[in-house]
Parts: sequence; C-alpha cells; structure tokens
Amino acid sequence: MILSTTWLAEYVRWDAPVDELVRRLLMSGLNHEATWEVGADTAVDIEVTSNRPDCLGHVGVAREVAVLFDRPLHIPAPRPLEAAVPASSAIAVEIVDPDVCPHYTARVIRGVRVGQSPAWLADRLRTIGIEPVNNVVDVTNYVMMECGQPLHAFDLAKVRGGRIVVRRARDGETFRAINHKDYSLTSGMAVIADAEGPVALAGVMGGAESEIAADTVDVLLESAQFAPLVVRAAARGLVLMSASSYRFERGPDPASVEWASRRAAALIQELAGGEVLAGAVEAGTLAGGRATIDLRAARVEEVLGVPVSAGRQAEILTGLGFVKEAACSERCRWQAPTWRRDVTREVDLVEEIARIEGYDSIPEDRPIHAKPVEQSARERTIRVAGEVLVATGLCEAMTRSVVSEAFESTASPWTALPPRRVSPALVRGADRLRRTLLPSLLEACGHNRSVGAPHGDLFEVARAYLDRSGNAAGDSPLEEPLLVSLVVGGAYAKAKGLAEGVIGRLGGVVEFRRGAFDLFTPGRAAEIVLERAGAEPVRVGVVGEVSEEVLSRFGLEGPVSAAELRLDLLEISGSQPRKLVPPSEFPAVQRDLNLVVDQGLLWAEIERAIRGAPGADRMLESLSLEQVWEDAERLGAGKKSLVVGLRFRSQTGTISSDESKRLVEAIVASCGRACGAVLRG
Amino acid sequence: MGTVSLESFRADIERLRAEAVAAFGAAADDVSLEQARVEFAGAKSGRLKGIQKLLGGLDGADRPEGGRLFNEAKGAITAALDAAQARLSGAAAEAGAIDVTLPGEPFRLGHVHPITQTIRRVQEIMARLGFESVDGPEVEDQWHNFEALAIGAEHPARDPLDNFYLAVAKGADPLLLRSQTSTVQIRVMEQRKPPLRIVSLGRVYRPDTADATHYPMFHQVEGLLVEPGATMADLKGVLRFLASSFLGGDVHVRFRPSFFPFTEPSVEFDMEWGGRWVEMGGAGMVDPAVLAAVGYDPAEVSGFAFGLGVERIAARRYGVADIRDFYRNDVRFLEQF
Repeated sequence: MILSTTWLAEYVRWDAPVDELVRRLLMSGLNHEATWEVGADTAVDIEVTSNRPDCLGHVGVAREVAVLFDRPLHIPAPRPLEAAVPASSAIAVEIVDPDVCPHYTARVIRGVRVGQSPAWLADRLRTIGIEPVNNVVDVTNYVMMECGQPLHAFDLAKVRGGRIVVRRARDGETFRAINHKDYSLTSGMAVIADAEGPVALAGVMGGAESEIAADTVDVLLESAQFAPLVVRAAARGLVLMSASSYRFERGPDPASVEWASRRAAALIQELAGGEVLAGAVEAGTLAGGRATIDLRAARVEEVLGVPVSAGRQAEILTGLGFVKEAACSERCRWQAPTWRRDVTREVDLVEEIARIEGYDSIPEDRPIHAKPVEQSARERTIRVAGEVLVATGLCEAMTRSVVSEAFESTASPWTALPPRRVSPALVRGADRLRRTLLPSLLEACGHNRSVGAPHGDLFEVARAYLDRSGNAAGDSPLEEPLLVSLVVGGAYAKAKGLAEGVIGRLGGVVEFRRGAFDLFTPGRAAEIVLERAGAEPVRVGVVGEVSEEVLSRFGLEGPVSAAELRLDLLEISGSQPRKLVPPSEFPAVQRDLNLVVDQGLLWAEIERAIRGAPGADRMLESLSLEQVWEDAERLGAGKKSLVVGLRFRSQTGTISSDESKRLVEAIVASCGRACGAVLRG
Repeated sequence: MGTVSLESFRADIERLRAEAVAAFGAAADDVSLEQARVEFAGAKSGRLKGIQKLLGGLDGADRPEGGRLFNEAKGAITAALDAAQARLSGAAAEAGAIDVTLPGEPFRLGHVHPITQTIRRVQEIMARLGFESVDGPEVEDQWHNFEALAIGAEHPARDPLDNFYLAVAKGADPLLLRSQTSTVQIRVMEQRKPPLRIVSLGRVYRPDTADATHYPMFHQVEGLLVEPGATMADLKGVLRFLASSFLGGDVHVRFRPSFFPFTEPSVEFDMEWGGRWVEMGGAGMVDPAVLAAVGYDPAEVSGFAFGLGVERIAARRYGVADIRDFYRNDVRFLEQF
C-alpha cells in the first residue's frame, strides 16, 4: 500500500518528520518498504498484513497515526446533493447468488461531463502510482484508496435493460474486460450482468462495453461486498490481479459500502457536475456484525509479562475505534469497530494494546529456567552416520526432494509403487516426490566433475516419499523413510566399506546379499539385510557399482560406487552408551592360512566357517582377507586360493604355541567341512 | 706430613684439565670422543680418577684447597665433554636433515553442509534451555498444515498456487508438502501434555521462483514452549539468549507487530547484527485456538513460538550472496565450511 503523505495529512496532523512517521508505523505493525518523492509530495510504501484490510486506505492508516501521535482524526462526512427522482427509477438490482455477493448498492449520477481531474486529485493518484484516466474513474480509484472499498462506475446507457443482476458466472461464459481482452469464465467466479450478459467481473474488473468514456452522460456507481474466495478464484484463475481484487480478497469494512458510495457520488458531482438521484438501490444486506469482547485488565500483563494500566488500555482501544459498553474497572466489555473484523477475542485486544503501547516496553532480560533435555535416537543416528562419512572425506550435499521424471524412472529400492506427483513443479520439470536420493547425488557428482572440482564424493541425509501400499499404517500421510546415500569414486568395495562403517557405528548386524538394482552394474550390487531378533530380516540398504549407462547419463567416469541406507531402520536403539570391553593385556598371535576353495565360493561362507570354529568366538581378535589368486596350473581348474590373516588373542592369558596350533586346526577343519576348503602348503 | 705437595697437585690437575679440554675439542667423531672420554673421565681408570686418588696424599691442611681445585677441574672437563657431544650429535642431525617446509602428507577431510551446521548451532543453543529437537513428516494433511494452525479454508495461504499439493484420487483428502514446520509442533502437542519445549526443524516448501534470495525448498527451525504462565517477556528473553549465543556478545532483540494465524499477539523479531537491525523471523504467543485444537486448555497454559529461516541466517553468517549455491553441491563451495 503506497501512501501519499499530503493526502494522509488531510485526516491527521502528526507534527513530525516523515522518518519518524515511518518508524512509528513500523513499530506498530505497518512495515516500511520504501519512501520517495513525487513532486512536492512524499510517497511511503508500507506492507499491510492480510488481517488489516482497514489499512489498505489512507483513512485507516490515518487512524493509526492519530492514536500513535495522540492527535485528532478528521474523516469527511460526504453529503451529495440529491435530486428528488429516486435512483430506483433508473436501475433495478437483483442478487441471484447471495453467497458470492451479500450486499450490493447502486447510485446514479445523471448528466456528468467527463473530463480531466483537477490537479490535486491527479497528483495524489500519481503519487501512489495510479495513472489518472478521467474525473469519474479517478474518483472511484480515489475513494478506494481513501477508505479501502473498491468501487466501479458504469456508463448507465450501456447497461442493457436497466437492470443489474449479480450471479455466479456460467462455465464457459465469455467476458471482455476493460483491458480489451476476452476471458472465459467458470462458475467459481461471479459476474455483474445486465439484462443480456456480464458487464463486469465481480470485484475484479469492469467490462469494456460499459466503461466510462468521453461521451458518457449518466453514471451507475457500484459499491458492494463480494465474497473473498470468489474474487480470488477469478483474479488468480484469469491472472487478473487488481487493486480491487486485492482488497476484496481481504474483506473491506462492510460499513464502507455506503460511505464510499456517498463519498464518490459527492466527488463526482463536485468534479464532473450532474445530478445525483435520490438514495441508492440496494440488494442484500450489510453483512458483518460487530464483535463484543470482554477484556480483563489483568490479562494484558499475563500475556505480555509487563503491566499496562487500565486507563491506558482504554485510551488505546478507544482511539482505535473500539467502544466500551459501560463503565467498568477489572473487566470491560468492548465492541469492535466494523473495520476490525480481525479482532474477536480477548487476546486480540491484548495485541492491539501491545502494538500501540510498543513492544520495546517488554524487557529482554527475563530469566528462563533451564530444563534437562535428551538427544533423540534419530538425532544421534543422523550425527553418527554423518561423522563416519565426513571423517572418510565425503562432503554433505543437499539436493531437491522433488525431481524430474528422468530421475524417478529409476526403480526405488524401497517401493514398487510409482512416485507421487506435486503441482506446481518445484522447479521446471521436477514434479515427482523422490523415492531414492541416488540419482540426485549422481547428478551432483557429475556437476563436480564438469566444473573440475577436486572430487565429487558426496553424501546426503534426507527423506524419501513412499506411497503407503493400501494397508501400511502410520501416522504420517506417506511413508517417509530417512535415508543416507553416498556416491564415491572407486569400485564396489569402496561404497561397501563406507556402508559397513556407518552400519557398524550404528551397531547394526547385517548381511550382504547379491541383488540387482537399476543404477548398478548387474552382478556388482548387493542388498543389505538387517537381522532382527524375533522378526523377519529386513532390507536396510543397497550398494553397488554404478553402471556404465548411468555413468554416461550423468557425465561421470567409472568406477563409481554408491550406497543407500535406511537410517530409520538402523536407528541407534536405547540411550545407554556402549560399555567398555577392556583391551587384553596379553600378546597377540598372528597366523596366515592359505585356503584353496571353489571359485564360486562366497567370502561370507568362509568367514562364517572361520568364526564358527570352536574357540574362535573367544580367541579370534580379527580376521582379514590378505590375498585372492587363481592359477589353474598350480591350484587346479575352478579353484581359487584365499590368504586369510588370523589374529588370536586371549583375555585371560598368553596363547601358547599348542593353543594357537589347535585353533588353526579347528578353523581349517571347520572350513573343510563347511566349504570344502583345503589348506595349501 | 703428606706425600704429595699442593703445588705439584695443582700443576698436575691443571695440565690434566688443559689436555682433556683440548682432546674433547679436537675429537672429530663419536669414536675419538669416546676414546678421549675413557682416557680422561673414565669411571674406573680415567686420569681424573687417578688424580682424585692423590688427594689422600695431601697434607691435612691442604686438603680443602686440593678438593676445591679438583672439583673445579672436574666441572670444566664435564662441560667440555658435554659441549663436544652436542657438537657431534648436531652434525649427525645435519646429515639426516629434511626440508621441514615440504608439504605434509595430504589427507581428505569431509565437510558438513553449512545449512546443517547452522541448524545444529541453533539446536545446541536451544538445548541449553531445554528445547528438544523433534522431526515430522514433510508430506502433510490439511489439518496439520492449516486447520490446527487456525488457517481457515478462506485463507489465501491455502491457495493451490501457493502450495505444492499432491495429486490425489478424486474425493480423497488433499495432501501437500508442508509449508512450515509448525506442523510438527501440532503433532507433538497432540501426543504429549504440557509443559513442553521443542524445536522442530527440517525442509519446507513454498512455490517461489528460485533467485538469489528465494528457493522453493528451504529449511526452518521453529521453537515452541507451552507452560503455565508463559509470557511475551519470556519469549523475548529466549530470543535474546539465542541471538547472543548465536552471534556472540550481548545482542539485542526487537519485536515488531505482525500477523500469523497461529499466534496472537504476532511479531517479527529483529536482531542487532553488524550494527543494524536484521529481520530474523516470526514469533508470538500461541493462539488460544491452536492450544484448543490440540486439546490443551488455554486457561491453564500459554505458550510462545518462533520460527527462523535457516538459509537466510546461513547466507548472512557465511557471506553467501546467492542461496541457490547451498543446493549446487559444488565441493569447492562445501569444502569452505
């Protein structure tokens, strides 16, 4: 809302520089956007919150100024000179759909001379950024910017059949607006029609046919209330936002329908001559009662934390137009003014008192008592996962939750259901809620490569959005698993090592099983399965080497590996910290075994056999794979050799050579039984 | 009568001292120094040891002076030996010396995203006051995103063009990407009884054309306190604590009236940052209608809430001129934080 300070001064004198005016308005709720000079006038742009349509006119702002500076407020009382002939002799008004228009009034001014507005009016309009058109149209704009009530003037001669009908538009009905563009309407909008068809789009814009022109003689002046949703539907639906629709969407003072009509009629008469017919033709009723609110004087301090005297409370409210119903002290009954329909409850009155009294009166050093608080399991899980990945040199990325069809054509490891779509798109083309973070990370990785960044090893912690498959219960509308995903340069083992590191720090015990996923090279991908006590094992991750085709899509060069883990399923359980296992005081014994096995044997099977050997649970401190080699001549066809590093240590004593020999024998025997392994050399 | 005269003892010991200092000084390597050490200062048969034995042959009256001469000489010989040893080991160090200005062994450290760092900073500060971090769904229903927050059906904030609505089957309840994290506060209040101190945080979504200061996806941190007798003075105190802890020093907080459907009174709060007032976020006393919507009794408890836009604070904190940089994931950007 742009103010002309010259115009504002017509209603109130504040006796202070414009900067001080702006500061006081800012601190009482009208945010300052900008100030600039227009000729001899000063324009001030203020931001009006949606609850304060009363400040979308100069009078409303003047009322605030009067209270803030404790100055009298002068509002004109318009009295057009009316002829004996009633307006109803010239026009009839009917409201067909009262839900779109509760109250409509029409005045008639006959015999006007359309021409230029006088300088004082044209200048004020220019200050606030409205280009003058002619004296009749200018008056309607002026009065709107004075009291916040939009008006419309029709050329009465162009209103066919001498009648006005307010109704919902018909689907497909067309209308040519003042801007000479044609619009196709829907039943969500409302029109002002004459005997034949629409002459205005209610609350938004007049029609080209009936606009005031140089040859207009008789004017029909509309002042009405329109339903905010209907006006918004039209303004948004047709992209026809206007000063009028802006105000109707917020709801002007219902009482201003009548005031604005009289004010505009009197001004038209003054500036363009003519004869104002008696009275207004009205349809519907003035909607909007006045709230009655009880205010306990003590409540103000209970909310604000600082006292405001009952006398000062009354002074502020009275200045703002609230009316005290009877003498009172501790509890007063107040009637809200018609222009403050946002004030309906005691707490609303408290806010009025607070903003005028000034929030600077509230102290900022009131002590607050500390309270114990615990970090949630989820929070700890996210931090631990991040710590592992940051320590290993990955950077945390943040990518968009809503992605393009190209990204979501990749199957999700987490659901077979298609992605949900949103409207509008987040950014161009991105309208699908992602079910995996991996394509987004690969894209970010590709970006780093294309700009020559030092590396593109990234991870992200974010949610995926999965449709609930019919019966999957939960208290959120969609299932939103929390994922950590990572993309790194390197072969399968790189991503697997990182996945193992994260899972290990979170305390999960998992198994890697061969799997197939869209992004990964066939045969070089695994699903990660979590063993759960008393429940089915569950997939908690996927890991693999990114396929050539996917690499080229994202401008990457291999090898690149990636993993995605379900942090929600791997969440650290309980709040107890890990308990120490004291490091053994006794020396370790290192043994290497060279085992020959079938080529197709999985490492997991050998590992299980070694760890399952008698004594291994107590004595085997660590197990490593030192070397794998194949040599048909020396090992035989279809065989491979595994060099396995074993490290034994006991908590209770030094391991003797006999003991270590028995352990090795037990392990070799176990590997032989379970995997057909043969000790070589 | 003594068998050794003081005069001859003095002459002997001074000769020994001169020869020892010269020998140590002349030693060119560890071997020759060791030879000299054994000859002069050897514990068993060194020449110093030999002279010490002569002390017993001095006349009783001369013995104190003889002892003094001996100690003086022994100190000088030891010092000369130390000096020679230091000289020779220095030479060894020079032989094995390296260029200590050569680059250290490189290793790569990962970096936490600046948005995450900013969120954690706020979380940590609020935790000192007993505010617990909570999290909730990003896809929400109308109840949690609007109705429970006193945003009525006619409110412009619900307009389809101002939200990311999900495509739903005809007749199904509309769903949308949450436009604020207050939704989580509603969910927590529905499940827990007061008193309550929580911080809800995470991604929120509002249709906005991406530019240097806008992005359709961003992060919010919102605080909520519900307790008997909470006032706006408590709110101001908490925000000043947050501002001072976050920015450092004694930072002042300013309230300006504003409007949010879910708070009454509603304010914008500014912090003094770099010598001027900077808009930080919105705040207010929880609207009684919101308390009632979650089953709290507004006559029994009151509360306050505040919200911060993380990108804006992070941009200012780190001097990022274009908030889109936070989502480009350029490692050269990420590595700076």
